[in-house]
Amino acid sequence: MKEYTVTEARAKEIKERIEKSKQIMRETFEKFSPCECAVTWTGGKDSTTNLWIIRQVCVEDNLALPHVITIDEGDAFTEIVDVLINVSKKWGIDLKWLCNFDVLRACLSKLGYKVQVRDLNERNRSELKRIGFAEDSFTFEAESFAGNHLMKTVPLNMFIEKNNIKALFMAVRWDEHPARKDDKYFEEKESGKLQPPHTRVSPILHFTERDIWDNTHLHKLPYCPLYELGYRSLGVRSTTNPMEIGVPAWEQDLENTVERAGRRQDKEKAMDRLRKLGYM
Amino acid sequence: MKNVILFTIDTLRKDVLGCYNPDSKLTPFLNSLQHKCIRFTNMQSIGPYTQASFPGILTSSYYFDWGRQKKCPPQRKLISEVLKNKGITTAAIHSNPYVSEFFGWKRGWDFFYDSMEDEVTDEVPYVRGDEINRKVDEWLSSHIQGENYHRFFLWLHYMDVHEPYVPKRKYVDMIDSSIDLSSEQMFDLFKTTLLKRDVSDRGKVELLKKLYFAHVLEVDGYAQGFFEILKKYNLLDESVIIITSDHGDEFGEHGGLSHDGKFYSELINMPFLIYQSARDKGEVCDTLISNIDIPPTVVYLFGIEAVDDFKGHSVLPVTHYPEKGCFGEAVDKRSAHEKETDKPTYYYHDGKFKIIYREGMDSWEMYDVEKDPAEKNNIVDSSSLAEKMKEALRPRIRRWVN
Repeated sequence: MKEYTVTEARAKEIKERIEKSKQIMRETFEKFSPCECAVTWTGGKDSTTNLWIIRQVCVEDNLALPHVITIDEGDAFTEIVDVLINVSKKWGIDLKWLCNFDVLRACLSKLGYKVQVRDLNERNRSELKRIGFAEDSFTFEAESFAGNHLMKTVPLNMFIEKNNIKALFMAVRWDEHPARKDDKYFEEKESGKLQPPHTRVSPILHFTERDIWDNTHLHKLPYCPLYELGYRSLGVRSTTNPMEIGVPAWEQDLENTVERAGRRQDKEKAMDRLRKLGYM
Repeated sequence: MKNVILFTIDTLRKDVLGCYNPDSKLTPFLNSLQHKCIRFTNMQSIGPYTQASFPGILTSSYYFDWGRQKKCPPQRKLISEVLKNKGITTAAIHSNPYVSEFFGWKRGWDFFYDSMEDEVTDEVPYVRGDEINRKVDEWLSSHIQGENYHRFFLWLHYMDVHEPYVPKRKYVDMIDSSIDLSSEQMFDLFKTTLLKRDVSDRGKVELLKKLYFAHVLEVDGYAQGFFEILKKYNLLDESVIIITSDHGDEFGEHGGLSHDGKFYSELINMPFLIYQSARDKGEVCDTLISNIDIPPTVVYLFGIEAVDDFKGHSVLPVTHYPEKGCFGEAVDKRSAHEKETDKPTYYYHDGKFKIIYREGMDSWEMYDVEKDPAEKNNIVDSSSLAEKMKEALRPRIRRWVN
């Protein structure tokens, strides 16, 4: 692995990126108290950067750190779990581990296991009903229609409701995905069938993948060792692959290749389209 | 050697095209191409919905050849893989999730756009034809630089006539300006009537059909836009263009709506046109052909030797086409949702008669499609040819174990 160098000019640019993010965060804290805010943290490079900047703002402005949450879909990389645990200790974070344990119990924590809907608790059964899922069983996969809702959306919604969360900090970036290119720093999520109302705040939208790596190395942020093995973007274990095996993420051609190509095209997206076309 | 363009329009019924049905005024542009086309009057689809039909169109194989698989199995050889191997540039531009990368259809394409990363709405859950055209334009502008570009095979596919039928106001007005429905109301009709396959209210079914017609008008305009793009790149003289659909749509003809697992003419009789600008007049061909013949036809047009894996035959030259019947197979679903327990159904068409077997009901139907084109009169118990038709279809039944 080559030594990572960041030029002075780039360091200055990164500083400006961080300042912009801080400004978004401060705007959020003017409207909401930290205890009404939560930061989503996957242990990946982007959300770690996001959390690192939020911590700075809280220290500088003498604010409490918002809730820090992670959603366990039951298929996480061990290496990512290690990052979450170790960095939490190092940074003194009281990480809230959100997981739909009822589903994990019903599928014996096995991917591909056929979950019988009758084995689920009442809340999960009613959640399935709410999204119009009428089958008796579904296969436990992070990206299945039922699995995705129960493992990701339900625990997040429950946390938002229970803690009266008003703002959720996300770590999405404009350049990570064409579908993100028009995202806004602040997005109001109105109360709908599938979520309680809240504001989504995306303070690092303007960071590029290169900015993330320059900042990570410049400020010696912790990162998951999978990136050294060639992974560019980390999702759940069963659907994420390295892009160039053995070439650290930051040594790959970030500008001309697709960051998320190592992720299997989202099954959920295909399913959602089919539903809209009237097939489900 | 010319480029070959496969231009498919999802859910397009044959009888909405003016060139097949002089009463239809929905496709002025496509009609205007007739003097440069061979128009096939007897093309059958191997399946009544995308998943059952596209194996024919892009791989020249039947839906159940490798079992009842949701994803395109690796054994299927895509036309794109064959052509790319021969050094022909391949591009696919479409917006149908059933033939997206996720379902395994990205193999062999130098350029593949399936729109799955784009945001869509409930009312228009696909990328519209004009945007597909824009992508085509973009791809052509990057591919064609000067005269010495690589010969290419381009497949583009529109989704705009597929439900939900929520056409723009101007197209609704062109069909029937007395239709006073907001987009929400049209969408509501989709949810409450079409999705439920509820044909009890004839008025609602007719209304749905008119909205569908409005989308056909819309798509004819996109087709014109596409031809204008080809003209801009001087490609009309340089390309052969195959125009067809994957399946039709039902408006109560056989008790249902949309396109379920049935093999009646409204679902599997396909438009099929081959556009060649060098023609001095149009031609009509009445030979019974199938969309399983499309990949071998493309291979023929590129002057490549026939591919053993392909089950169909080139429809060109028309004089060399073998006389054969058409088969097809699908899951016998009669609702929006396919269940694992739904059984398969099969058909065989010999040009005069069609026989259908539904495994779940263990039932046979046979129609004299010449005398009874609406397929209302089941003659399986009375026809002396029924046994022969059954024998033709039997080898295809239960070729796989669920």
